[in-house]
Amino acid sequence: MTVLDTDGSLTCHVFDGEQVGTQVSGAGAPLLSMRGITKRFGAVEALVGVDFEVHAHEVVALVGDNGAGKSTLAKMVAGVLAPDAGFIEIAGQPVTIPSPAAAQDLGVATVFQDLALCENLDVTANLFLGRELHGAVSRDDAEMERVTREVLDKLASRIPSVRTPLSHLSAGQRQTVAIARTLIGAPQIVVLDEPTAALSVVQTAEVLMHIERLRDLGLGVILISHNMTDVRAVSDRIEVLRHGRNNGSYDASSTSFEEIIAAITGATHAERGLRSVS
Amino acid sequence: MTRKAAAGSQTSLREANKALVLETVQHWGGLTQVELAAATGLSQATVSTIVRELLGVGVVETAVTTRSGRRAQLVTVARRMGLAVGIQVSHRQLRIVLGDFGHTVLAEQTLPLPNEHRLDTSLDRAALLVVDLLERMGSTLDEVVGIGVGVPAPVDVDTGMISVRGLMRGWDDVHLGHTLSKRLACPVSVDNDANLGALAESTLGAGRAYRDSVFVRASYGTGAGVVIGGRVHRGYAGTAGEIGHVQVDPLGDICRCGNRGCLDTVVGASALVEPLRASLGALALRDVVQRARDGDPGCARVIADAGAQIGAVVAGLGMAVNPQVVIVGGELAETGEVLLGPMREAISRRVLINQIAPLEVVPAALGSRAEVMGALLLALQTADVPVRVDIEEEKVG
Repeated sequence: MTVLDTDGSLTCHVFDGEQVGTQVSGAGAPLLSMRGITKRFGAVEALVGVDFEVHAHEVVALVGDNGAGKSTLAKMVAGVLAPDAGFIEIAGQPVTIPSPAAAQDLGVATVFQDLALCENLDVTANLFLGRELHGAVSRDDAEMERVTREVLDKLASRIPSVRTPLSHLSAGQRQTVAIARTLIGAPQIVVLDEPTAALSVVQTAEVLMHIERLRDLGLGVILISHNMTDVRAVSDRIEVLRHGRNNGSYDASSTSFEEIIAAITGATHAERGLRSVS
Repeated sequence: MTRKAAAGSQTSLREANKALVLETVQHWGGLTQVELAAATGLSQATVSTIVRELLGVGVVETAVTTRSGRRAQLVTVARRMGLAVGIQVSHRQLRIVLGDFGHTVLAEQTLPLPNEHRLDTSLDRAALLVVDLLERMGSTLDEVVGIGVGVPAPVDVDTGMISVRGLMRGWDDVHLGHTLSKRLACPVSVDNDANLGALAESTLGAGRAYRDSVFVRASYGTGAGVVIGGRVHRGYAGTAGEIGHVQVDPLGDICRCGNRGCLDTVVGASALVEPLRASLGALALRDVVQRARDGDPGCARVIADAGAQIGAVVAGLGMAVNPQVVIVGGELAETGEVLLGPMREAISRRVLINQIAPLEVVPAALGSRAEVMGALLLALQTADVPVRVDIEEEKVG
C-alpha cells in the first residue's frame, strides 16, 4: 500500500534514536505498529506521541480513564480518524488508513460499542451485510449460511440457528454476531471496543471465551475495556493511556490490579524509554 | 426443520420424531405440548403420543401449568429429584456445571479469570453465573439441592476454609462455603480440586474399577487426591495428597507456602513458562500445552521434564498408599503421552513392582472436566436426598 497524503496536515514524524530502539522485538515484526501518533481536536490533545503495537497471537488491552484517548486510537486503526502526525505500519509496511474500507482491505476488523447490526435481518445477513457472496446467477445464500455456521463454530458460539433474526437474540448473542462478523474476510487484527459493557456474567463469559478463541486462531486483538477483571483475564499485555499519552505497558499475567489502577489514575508515571517490549 | 423428511420405514420415522422432541425439550429447558408441536412441526397428536412414551421410560417429566389462562402440560427433561451445581475455581478459569442425580450435565459455562483473581469478585461472578445458567434452563434456585466448590488449595471440609495460608492470595480466613450459601440460599460444600478430580474419576471415570487410586492434577500448581477403599482420603485438615509442596530441591526457590524448593516451584506455571521466554517469547501456560500437542520440541521438552519430576514425587505417594492406578488430569495432561510417558517411567522406576497388580498410569477419563464433575458429585452426595424425595412424592400424590 502506498503512503497517501489524505490532507495537508499529515506529516511524517522523525524519531530520535531511543524510540527507534524500542522497535527491536523478539517475535518478528508486529502486525500493527503505531509510532508517535498525535491527534488534536482544536485545543484538545486527544493523543500526543502515542506508541502502540500488536503482535500476532496476542491480546492487547487498551485501558485508561474516560477521554484518555483509547477510542481515538481505535478509530485510527479502524480508518475512521486520521492522525495529525505519526507512523502506522501493518505487517512491517508503512500505511495510511484513510477509510474503514481501507482498514478492512488491510486486514483490520472492528467491533464498535453500538455493534452496528441490523435488527430485522438474520444472523447470516448481518455477517455478510454489504459484502454478500454471489454465485453464477444470484446471491449464494447456501454458501453464506455455510460460512456463517463455520465461523460461529470457530467461536464455539451458542447461537442455535443462523436464520434467527437479530431482534430475537440476547445482548450477549448480538455481541457474538458482531465478533463473528469480524472473521468474515480473514482479518489479522480485530479491534473490540467495550465488548463486555452491559452484558450479564454468563454473556461476559461467552465473549471472553470468544476473545481467547480469536487469539488461538492467531489474530492480534485490541481490547478496549473499563473492566479490569475482564482485561486481566484475557489479555497478554495492557497498555495504559492517560491524557492522550502512554503511561506504561504491563505484562497482564504478572501485574496486579493495583499497579494498573495506579497507572490509569496517574499515581505512577511511566518514563519514556523504559517501556517493556514483549 | 428438515429432519422428519429423513424417513425410511415407519419405525425410523417414529424414532427420528422422538429424538427431535427430546432434543427440542432439552434445548428450550421446558415447553408445553402445544409449544412443542409448534417448535417441532409435528402434529399435536404425535407430540402427545411421543411425550407419553418418553414419560413412560422416565426421560421426561410433565407438570400442569397455565399458558394464556389455559391449563397446559409442561414437558421438561426429567431432573430426577433436583439439580446440583459444580463450581471449579482454578487459577485462570471458573468452570460451572449444572447436573442432575443421573450425573447428566444439563448446562455448563467457563469464564476466564485474571491472575491472582480476587475472592469477592470471583465468588460474586460464580453466584451470578449459577443464577444465569439456571435461568437459561428455565429453572430456579429452589430446585438446587446443593453446590460443590473446588479450589486449588487444601480445604478444611468442615469449615469450608482454605487450611494453608498464602497459597491463594486474599482467599485465607474466609468461610467460602458459608459465603456462597448465604448468597445462594442452598447448602455449599467446598473441597480441594484434586480431591474432587479423584472423587469424579473413582466414581465415573478411569478409577471406577479400582478400590485404591491416586488422581494427580498437573496444572498451574500440582496436587493429588487419594482414594482409599473407594473413599477420598482428605486427612485431618485436608492437606493429604498436597504433592505440590513436597520438597524436591533443597536449594531451590522459596515457595508460596514458605518452604524451600517445593515441587510447585519446579513444575508450577511460571517455572514452565520462564525457560521458554528466551526462545519463544512470552507464552501463557495454555500456549505451552497447545504447542506441545502440536509437536513443538521446546514446549514438549518442558512438559516432559515436568512429567518426570511429578512422577518422582507421585512414586513416593504410591509407596505410601499402594494404589492400583494413578490417574492424571489437569491442563498439562491435555498433552497426553508427552506428560504421561516420562511420568509413568519415573513412577515405575521408583515404586516396588508387585506381581499382583502392577501400578498403571492413565489419563483422566473425564479429561479437563474431572474436577468440576467432582464438585457436582460432592454436591449430590452431600445433598439431603430423602427429604427431597418426600416432597416430590407429595407433589405427585
